[in-house]
Amino acid sequence: MADEDLQKTLEELSRDLQESKARLEEAQRIAHVGHYYWNLIENRVIWSDELYRIYGLSPQEGPIDMAMVREMIHPEDREFVFRTAEEALHSEVRADIEHRVVRTDGEVRTVHALGTVKRDASGRPYEMFGTVQDITDRKRAEETLQQTQVYLREGQRLAHMGSWAFNDLGHYWSDELYEIFGLDPENGVPAIEQYLAFIHPEDRASMAETIQIMYQQHAGCDVTKRIVRPDGQLRYVRCVAIPVIEQGVFKGLRGSAIDVTEQELLTQELRRQQAYLAEAQSLTHVGSWACNFLTGKIFHLSDEALRLYGFDPDSPGISFERLYNATHPEDEPALREQFFGAINARKDYDLEYRIYRPDGAIRCLRSLGHHDPAQEIGEYVGITMDITERKRAEEEHEKLRQLEADLAHINRVNMMGELAAALAHEIKQPIAASITSANTCLRWLAHDPPNLERARAAATRSEREGNRAADVINRLRSFYKKGSPPKREMVDVKEIIQEMTALFMTEAVRHSIKIHSELHEDRPHVLADRVQLQQVFMNLMLNAIEAMRETGGKLTISSRLSPDGQLIVSISDMGVGLPAESAEQIFEAFHTTKPQGTGMGLAITRSIVEAHGGRVWATANPGAGATFHFTLPTKAEARA
Amino acid sequence: MKSAAVPTVFIIDDDRGMRQAIQDLVESVGLRAESFPTGEEFLRMRPAGRPGCLVLDVRLPQMSGLDFQHRLVETGMQIPIIFITAHGDIPMSVRALKSGAVEFLTKPFRDQDLLDAIQQALQRDRAAQEQQAEIHDLQERYGELTAREQQVMALVVSGMQNKQIASEIGASEATVKIHRGNVMRKMQAGSVVDLVRMADKLKLSLRK
Repeated sequence: MADEDLQKTLEELSRDLQESKARLEEAQRIAHVGHYYWNLIENRVIWSDELYRIYGLSPQEGPIDMAMVREMIHPEDREFVFRTAEEALHSEVRADIEHRVVRTDGEVRTVHALGTVKRDASGRPYEMFGTVQDITDRKRAEETLQQTQVYLREGQRLAHMGSWAFNDLGHYWSDELYEIFGLDPENGVPAIEQYLAFIHPEDRASMAETIQIMYQQHAGCDVTKRIVRPDGQLRYVRCVAIPVIEQGVFKGLRGSAIDVTEQELLTQELRRQQAYLAEAQSLTHVGSWACNFLTGKIFHLSDEALRLYGFDPDSPGISFERLYNATHPEDEPALREQFFGAINARKDYDLEYRIYRPDGAIRCLRSLGHHDPAQEIGEYVGITMDITERKRAEEEHEKLRQLEADLAHINRVNMMGELAAALAHEIKQPIAASITSANTCLRWLAHDPPNLERARAAATRSEREGNRAADVINRLRSFYKKGSPPKREMVDVKEIIQEMTALFMTEAVRHSIKIHSELHEDRPHVLADRVQLQQVFMNLMLNAIEAMRETGGKLTISSRLSPDGQLIVSISDMGVGLPAESAEQIFEAFHTTKPQGTGMGLAITRSIVEAHGGRVWATANPGAGATFHFTLPTKAEARA
Repeated sequence: MKSAAVPTVFIIDDDRGMRQAIQDLVESVGLRAESFPTGEEFLRMRPAGRPGCLVLDVRLPQMSGLDFQHRLVETGMQIPIIFITAHGDIPMSVRALKSGAVEFLTKPFRDQDLLDAIQQALQRDRAAQEQQAEIHDLQERYGELTAREQQVMALVVSGMQNKQIASEIGASEATVKIHRGNVMRKMQAGSVVDLVRMADKLKLSLRK
């Protein structure tokens, strides 16, 4: 019975043991943990089945060949493994190492091996027992995580992007975030107050408010603010945060901070450039555009380009057709021919045409288009400008020019009329006296008895006056004959000035010119040819009037005696002045600055004055205009 | 009488030849002539009130003939003017004639035209002189009337009867008759019509 019981008990125990062993094996297989038993006395090593499997071997009974095991340990780890085992035998330290195993198929596994040494009473080791766990998968996961973190850190650094988290576990800033703020990670995450102190004063209040809202309302944010780093650098930082909520409970915040300084400065610069460009376009009424005329696709159309057509820049979707249809119907056929001609020929164009604005106003535009042959056909970039004012100014100018030409002609005709009248007076005077005297002569003869004495006197006078008329004509002709000696007589210069002033009065008034004379008290008489002297005055006064015909002004004639007894006459105007480079040339024949001038006036003047023993020159006035001077020998000097 | 004085043709022209020619022409028809180169010299030489006319050149050195004409009118010197000019135009002649010129002749002119103009001018001057003399005469006579007689004369020429005048001035009809008789005698008027003509010349207004 006892045996039976014992047998039964033994069977039960054996069964329990088998079950226990099976469970252990199962556990080892699941956990990838094997164990070994090293009998140091007999130097035998027994492996569990799982350990065989970890080494990629089939489980077998009996001790394992340690030489083979040694070969299977990764060569780099081999020495370390056995040295550690040796050390464990001689010390109290437990062996605890990781090493690699190269399976026979070449696969490398990483294992975590532990070993404890058992000693007898005398302290001599007799056994080592240990476990070996295959940690390859965990190791790989660890490496991957490390690699990921490296990548992340590198990515943050490259993107100037830092990350952070605020939660119950504490505050976290990534390395790059410290870098962005120019802070030392050693000092840890700054408190909110410290953090706000780095924010630019202008942005500080709004940032403080944002943080408050995030905590109170458990909200995220996306703001860009300026920071001032400890080293004084100003940076633009974009901060994106999201609340962390787990199962409806607010756990904190996490987010990223990006240094957007470069983008921000670029954006600002771009905005500034765009503003300048828009301003320049608006000021000059030049719009820019880029489009494909064949497809009608508009790539770019500046605000000013739309304004030129009378559209509000904010109005959406202005099509190419809508702009083209604004063309003035009279200009459209020609425009179409040239415009599409250029497009098909893939050539640049420069066109002027009128358009109707939506409000009905007609504007004149000029459009310059450039086609890059490398681009698709129909693709053009260019500018369009408003040339209405310029056109109008051109037309006004042309009208004015025509008017001027007409006026100049009328003036010339008038001047000729005046001249003819002056000459007529000069000739008519003696002729009238001659005719009257002849008639008187006849009357004296008709008396009963005839008064022969008076008749003879009248006839003589008639002859004399007739000759005087002939003289005037001869002297006029002598102007144009070289070398004819001038006729000299005592001439009152003041009288001639008065005559000439009267002659030009009408012309002067017409051009708002005041003729003013400052004459020497005495009546200087010069020995001169009266008609020629008149000619001198006429030329110089005519020039002065010409010079002021646009502007009006004062024509001053002055005369004075020089210390050496010469009479100096000066004729001064307030007109355009002298040509700087040719103050002397102006007296040369055919030199003229006037469109209708013959270039003879001053040349004749000089030849007359010099023939009279005087000289003529010109000076520029201190203010505006020029003064012409000439000298003539006076009566006193002539006598001397 | 002053009007009996021999009239003189005054010539102003700055051109000596022309001046002499005209003076000689005028003298050839038996008229007196004097000539001057400028208007100023004429004013200096001519005793006031001498009868005659003026032959005036339009274009003169200092003051033009037209301005000179204005100056004569302003100073009350009445003398008929004939303008001569070597280059006259229509506006100038219109202006001269409007200002009372007798004629406007363009040089060279026909001698007879000038002489005719001179005759016309002298006749006009004579008439003016006579009229002036008559008015002067009448003024003297009018001046001899008493204030009462001048009053009565004004009422008579206004067409009132003696009876009306008497009540107007507050006197008897007989007294009015005496005053009226004195007026007719002193003014040397033959009839009331005669007296009215005299009053007209004296520019007596018919005051009430």
